[in-house]
Amino acid sequence: MSDAVGEQLALDVGSLRQAIQEEYAEVASHPQKGFHFHTGRPLARMLEYADEWLEGIPESSIESFAGTGNPFSVGELLPGERVVDAGCGAGIDSMIAAKKVGPKGCVIGVDMTPTMLEKARYAAKEARLSNVEFREGYAEALPVDDGWADVVISNGVLNLMPDKSAALEEMSRVLKPGGRLQIGDILVQKAVPESAKRKIDLWTG
Amino acid sequence: MAAGFIGFEITWSKDVFSDAPQAGSAEKFGTLGINFRARKAVNEEEWTEAMAALSCEVPAQRSVEALAEKP
Repeated sequence: MSDAVGEQLALDVGSLRQAIQEEYAEVASHPQKGFHFHTGRPLARMLEYADEWLEGIPESSIESFAGTGNPFSVGELLPGERVVDAGCGAGIDSMIAAKKVGPKGCVIGVDMTPTMLEKARYAAKEARLSNVEFREGYAEALPVDDGWADVVISNGVLNLMPDKSAALEEMSRVLKPGGRLQIGDILVQKAVPESAKRKIDLWTG
Repeated sequence: MAAGFIGFEITWSKDVFSDAPQAGSAEKFGTLGINFRARKAVNEEEWTEAMAALSCEVPAQRSVEALAEKP
């Protein structure tokens, strides 16, 4: 997320990132606390995740799931493909992707919240998935080489970024030519006033 | 679409915030969960073609009288 966009919105980008990190650290540490969004297995069902996708994925990861859509419903991931999960959280989508692409494929999950990454790494080890790796970073500066991925997935993350163009450009950078974008996110049907865009608590809630 | 993506398509939408444990701003803004997909253009030529296809002509507005004459 660029400082320029933050300035346009009169928004302190650093404070926004910190607020988002704190919110999602809570989702990682206390998933049963109750948030302004649904979480966990009930949310996965609501978003039409197939039960078999979740088989073998540790409950510690599923309980901190906080997506807003279903990146797997918009296109198949094929064996051997390379996938980047931008804003992977506790790793549920990364691990589903790892199962779908199989041992010849590879998945890189990226998240800015260390507590989420700890859960994701632990869960992948528990699930014995060796084709998924988790890296700390921002979706606007993905720690992935140019043209590495066949598919970029993301779930409930773009809406948290003031500079969505920068995030999309970064996703484009890491994709091969012809690579696919499969995203779950949100859409607002009523205009959000400029004043509301400056309220950090509205970004996180 | 920006960033070299083409074929943008929203494939699904649903109210995924109702009855969440805490009240939020989702209802106020009519917020829906969505799924969407797009594809990175294979090359500059495909990107240029996709951009050209996005331009559209707005049909000339017919007068009320003309509409009445020729439904």
